[in-house]
Amino acid sequence: MDGKNNTMNKFQFGLVAQPLTPFLNGQIDWATYERVLQHQIHHQVDGLAISTHTGESVSLTIPERLEQMQFALKVADGKTPIVAYVSEAGTAIASEIAAKAASYGASALIACVPYYWTPPQSMLMEHFKAIGQAGNLPLFLYNSPVEMSGVKISTNMVLELINQLPNFAGVIDTSHDWQYMIELISEATRIKPDFQLISGTEYMVSASAIGATGLLSAMSNIAPQLTRSLFDTCAKNTYDVAYDDQVKAAVLWRLFHQFSLPGIKYAAQKCQRSNGQVRSPLTELTPDEKLQFDQVWQSFDWLSSEVSGF
Amino acid sequence: MSIVLKGVMQSPVTPLKNDFSPDYETFEKLVDFHVRTGATAISWPHHKAESHNLTMPERKALAEVAIKTVAKRVPVSIHVSALAVEDSFDLARHAQKAGADAIIAITPYFWKYSQESIYQHFMRLGTEIDLALIAYNSPEYLDGVEFTHELTTRLLEKLPNFIGLKEASFHSEKFFEILRAAKAINPNFAMIAGVEYLLPSVSLGGAGSYSSAGAICPNLCTQLYAACAAGDWPLARTLQYKLSQLWLLFRDQYPSSLKGGMVIMGRSVGPTSSPLPTASKERIQYIEKNLAELGILDSEPYGW
Repeated sequence: MDGKNNTMNKFQFGLVAQPLTPFLNGQIDWATYERVLQHQIHHQVDGLAISTHTGESVSLTIPERLEQMQFALKVADGKTPIVAYVSEAGTAIASEIAAKAASYGASALIACVPYYWTPPQSMLMEHFKAIGQAGNLPLFLYNSPVEMSGVKISTNMVLELINQLPNFAGVIDTSHDWQYMIELISEATRIKPDFQLISGTEYMVSASAIGATGLLSAMSNIAPQLTRSLFDTCAKNTYDVAYDDQVKAAVLWRLFHQFSLPGIKYAAQKCQRSNGQVRSPLTELTPDEKLQFDQVWQSFDWLSSEVSGF
Repeated sequence: MSIVLKGVMQSPVTPLKNDFSPDYETFEKLVDFHVRTGATAISWPHHKAESHNLTMPERKALAEVAIKTVAKRVPVSIHVSALAVEDSFDLARHAQKAGADAIIAITPYFWKYSQESIYQHFMRLGTEIDLALIAYNSPEYLDGVEFTHELTTRLLEKLPNFIGLKEASFHSEKFFEILRAAKAINPNFAMIAGVEYLLPSVSLGGAGSYSSAGAICPNLCTQLYAACAAGDWPLARTLQYKLSQLWLLFRDQYPSSLKGGMVIMGRSVGPTSSPLPTASKERIQYIEKNLAELGILDSEPYGW
């Protein structure tokens, strides 16, 4: 591996937030977006992922996504790294986003599988290789088989891609699957010692014990202090200390999982950091769903310190 | 009934003679080997013991050997799951009579059971059998039939002898939800990972695990649990990754490959019963090469 690749692979993921995209009458509310980003920076996240599914990437146009990246880079002002989410079902389009993100000054890239095509592993390899070569930044792949029609980032493909793409830096996992996570990190670090396993959900204790060193967090939008505290205690391997935070994070995660993105935006509204609007085709929670949501939410008395507007 | 389940618990394979009948003598050696090399409990016959391929009289006779050989040195649980529920109860009553400390039972086989039917089944097992009860959750193998945290709570509210759960979903959310629900009612409830995935299970508050590879590498199992319990996570990771390589080796044609590996360790236990294949000579050579590369031949006991 040459010197350039060595430096390029040095991006340490840490706790990376996935900011929500605020909308006003269907359009990006840039003034509020700046406050959303500043709020996360204020709570000392190690990076901002612009814009993932949590940021409603699938409902944004490509010019909007590129504009968000440039905007976030300006707001972060070199102090907080920007991780560009470059997923697209078409390889050429995803590669172009990756190249642009790199030219703007992003620090790393995240790509998920082009699940719509139910691709075999060989097709995934070509897709990710093209994106990684176009962006030439540390590339993290997102494994979420349940949400993505069962398409997996298999350990075999990861090992193959490590050999073919020097800037392939790690896998973000949301499967919660111990067998997969242990096999992946154990096999990958044998051929690439600095390969990173990143948890894509806040079940951080088990992920960290297995060897995950980063967290891609949606929860940070709602409970930034809890998320930071959970991440930091796990990073120190003090899992007994992390237990209480893990319980809180688990109940929040399950609530958000149940109500999906409209639920997270509704929670952000309750924290006075959102108007709750989602972009079409998503719809806001129905009054009945809000009632159900509220019943659980009210039991989180410990959340009061997080409900503070920006 | 106050048994403690903690650490790496061993579930022995079933040694067979060349005619596929149980090899009682070798079984005795194997159970004793596990206890002497650090098993904190013995549980038999899990699926890796070819439970489905044994007749009822064989299962009863072997259970008696296990209980007698362990001789109260560690707790013994007998796995009573059978296709016919009445066979399960027969095995459970036998286990109680034979002096087992606990029974372990999976959610019933084959049909798509509702949570209510699973509840009724375990209520009956827990009340008709006067032994500690360990439930066994394996949704992937049982087509999604599973133990939920709600079900765990319901059972714990009624059954004081429901003391633990073998968790084989190997899934952070499922494991932690059951654990939280159970510990709220019984803080000593034992969440036991199905195989040695100790990094995630112990870090989340689990009691330990059953074992896939204990007949090959008991030292590695003991060291891994000790590292987790001591909070030495960097060491634990190194050991867990090594075990993961072993698991990859044995998972293929499990438990045939495991029996093949035991030949190399000087602990032959005979063939695997049909329809499971028996490890070929080539397969055994391949396993030997891998065990040598992993340093297992130097760091683990040879023979009984």
